[in-house]
Amino acid sequence: MKLVHIQHLYNRIGFGITPKEMARLSKKSKQQIVDEIFSSSEKITPLKIDTSFLKDIQPKDLKDQDKKRALQKINREKVNDFSVAWFYRILNPTAIFREKMTLFWANHFVCESRNNVLFIQNYNNVLRENAFGNFSDFTKKISKEAAMLGYLNNKQNRKKSPNENFARELMELFTLGQGNYTETDIKEAARAFTGYNHNFRGKFVMRKYHHDKNEKTFFGKTGNFTGDDIIDIILEKEQCARFISEKIYRYFVNENINKNHIDQMVAVFYKEYNIEKLMRFVLLSNWFYDDENIWTKIKSPIEFLAGIYTVVPFNFKKPKQILLIQKLLGQVLMRPPNVAGWQTGKNWIDSNTLVRRLRLPSILLNNTAITYSDTGDEEAMVNDLKSKKLKRKGYIKTTVDWNSFEKNYKKESNNKLISLLLTNKILSGTKELLLKNANIPKKDFCIQLMSIPEYQLC
Amino acid sequence: MKRRDFLKQTSFASGMFFVPQFLKAFEQQLPKTFSHKKVVIIQLKGGNDGLNTVVPFRNDIYHQQRKNIALKENELLKITDEVGLHKSLKSLQNLYDKGFVSIINNVGYPNPNLSHFRSTDIWQTASDSNEYLQSGWVGRYLDFTKENPLKAIEVDESLSLLLKGKTQNGLAVTDAKTLYNSLREPFFKNVINHNLDAHLSEHNLGYLYNTLIDAKSSAKYIFEKTKTKSAANNYPKNLFGKQLKTISQFINSGLETQVYYAGLTGFDTHANQPNTQARLLQTYAESMEIFVEDLQKNNHFDDVLILTFSEFGRRVKQNESQGTDHGAANNVFVIGKNLKKQGLYNNLPNLSDLDANGNLKYKIDFREIYATILDKWLQVNDKAILNKSFSKLRFV
Repeated sequence: MKLVHIQHLYNRIGFGITPKEMARLSKKSKQQIVDEIFSSSEKITPLKIDTSFLKDIQPKDLKDQDKKRALQKINREKVNDFSVAWFYRILNPTAIFREKMTLFWANHFVCESRNNVLFIQNYNNVLRENAFGNFSDFTKKISKEAAMLGYLNNKQNRKKSPNENFARELMELFTLGQGNYTETDIKEAARAFTGYNHNFRGKFVMRKYHHDKNEKTFFGKTGNFTGDDIIDIILEKEQCARFISEKIYRYFVNENINKNHIDQMVAVFYKEYNIEKLMRFVLLSNWFYDDENIWTKIKSPIEFLAGIYTVVPFNFKKPKQILLIQKLLGQVLMRPPNVAGWQTGKNWIDSNTLVRRLRLPSILLNNTAITYSDTGDEEAMVNDLKSKKLKRKGYIKTTVDWNSFEKNYKKESNNKLISLLLTNKILSGTKELLLKNANIPKKDFCIQLMSIPEYQLC
Repeated sequence: MKRRDFLKQTSFASGMFFVPQFLKAFEQQLPKTFSHKKVVIIQLKGGNDGLNTVVPFRNDIYHQQRKNIALKENELLKITDEVGLHKSLKSLQNLYDKGFVSIINNVGYPNPNLSHFRSTDIWQTASDSNEYLQSGWVGRYLDFTKENPLKAIEVDESLSLLLKGKTQNGLAVTDAKTLYNSLREPFFKNVINHNLDAHLSEHNLGYLYNTLIDAKSSAKYIFEKTKTKSAANNYPKNLFGKQLKTISQFINSGLETQVYYAGLTGFDTHANQPNTQARLLQTYAESMEIFVEDLQKNNHFDDVLILTFSEFGRRVKQNESQGTDHGAANNVFVIGKNLKKQGLYNNLPNLSDLDANGNLKYKIDFREIYATILDKWLQVNDKAILNKSFSKLRFV
């Protein structure tokens, strides 16, 4: 397989590739490489942090306001710990494609829970476990996750007065997309999901007294539907396969949809909603490697960070600073902006985030100071921040594993480094500037390469 | 001579240094011919419950439909015999009493979309509910007037669709100094200088370079223009307060920016609405009052119109979890000095005439408000920017 195609493939299913790996794979065929990618992602290793503090907590403990507050505080810290753990999992994945897919699904079945680390940990692992599974089972599982039941108010959805939040987002964002259902469909679907709830430990329970057992009419069908039935009926529509295919195409192939390619994907996916089969089809198709799809996607902040890490591994001395960096780039793991998730592509970039991205390699690898205004979050927006300053300056402290970089790249000249880290499609003025500095130390040259706009693409 | 040095020297030679003094003086007195009016747009994100904001407290239907969350007469700031403001809006009432507020009721659009995202897009792009536009109406204002990104600023970490045009984008700035300092590194200067005359149309890469070049020149301008001006110190110490403080600093420094955008989030109150809404409305109202005072002190309030909207109102009937679900028509606040119509612009909604989903019907298309602002306030061709003709209202 051609080197540039291997690079492209690994940019999309992972976060870049080292020269050594590239050399090894270059002797293999496309089929062999894709098979290897799937077999190395077969194993599922759930991501878990220490949640033993919850072991002895009983429902009655929450009645005590002080205990409740204390518990909330630990939970919030633990959610941050989980976020950090997830970030390190992404940087050092054993099942690289599975982790990339997990990241993709986290921006599809968008959910947040700041007050219960167990719920959000379970939810995150459902994404990981079902990343290549059956989309129908996946959607049903997600609808029963405690974190999701809370996030979209489905546990407040009762026969007497349905709460439509989950039913609406299920169709709008998770399965069909805007305009492919009516307000009546939402109302009827919401009735089918009434009674959904979870117990104290986050296990799904059906509160049958809150469930509306009467007939519902949904997409022309009438029956005593449950939530699972609703999902089945939705998936009978080809539009669902199309909606998911388009989303996958935008994320893994190109932000601009090619209808012909989508039609092919729908034909594969609609048959049985098998996600692995769909992804195999995409990675094996010839069009995946078309020039117009290579180096055209704007990296998400996480892709950007993990991409740097693939070339030069780094470690944060204060793990919490990982979250700060993510915040400044506009994507904090576990903290989506809303249920529609992060808007991608050009939306990652504006004057603020671009400048931070261009400076980040120096900040991470060269211990340069970073100035920032506190972006805060919804919570901070409405809370008093008297004690906190809204503008700060600080050093991001990292340890940088330059040895690993030297080992991987010692044979490569600065000139060669350009094509290993970037495309050849560098703007001529920038290339001229880089070549003018081609004799500076390799480390500095690498930092400079990562500081130009071209490095924002993959 | 190196290209960079050449550029530096030539830009000195041709730049402002040799502009005769009389021209500079003339430039400072320009405002009479160009519109120097400004618009500050505030979005209450998540769909603020307008019925519990401007409250028809004598309406029986209101109390019947909202058993747990209806506000009683003694919880309100009365503005007429039948209408009261939520008690957290004391600061807004102060402005109201001075004649600075116009409340436009029943604002919406045909076939309302009850999704936050789609509805926000509709409000930001000024599209029909079945029409998908890729540019915001403020972005198209920049396109149409061929203005630079500086003319529209969102005080946030990232830029909304509202400020994205077809050919021109506004700027997202939270703090001019930070941005300016980040861009001072020689390497960026070199990258920019090496590509100033480059062909930058290539899809995403061109976008990245253009953003960088815009950021660099705008950051310098904003920083230098604003560095000596500070704002009042009594803004609420939260991010919304900080946003308003930044906007006031920008306006009071004489920045050429005409449109500002900021938002207060958290209004999606499906459950336990009363406390959340009270807290948010208080933050909103306090910030507005201080903002207006700050502008007045600096003699800029005459030139500023403040528009507050939310992507939709909420359903008339409350749900079982002390909250409300997504609704349709809502009220909009306009705040300004010389409003043509002060107080309640029109009647409160008719609670006995709801749409099929139990939502308020709209009487005023939100784009009539935009058209009015574009035509009467910013004095540009509203039809060219909104793609359609809308009747104008009488608030300015």
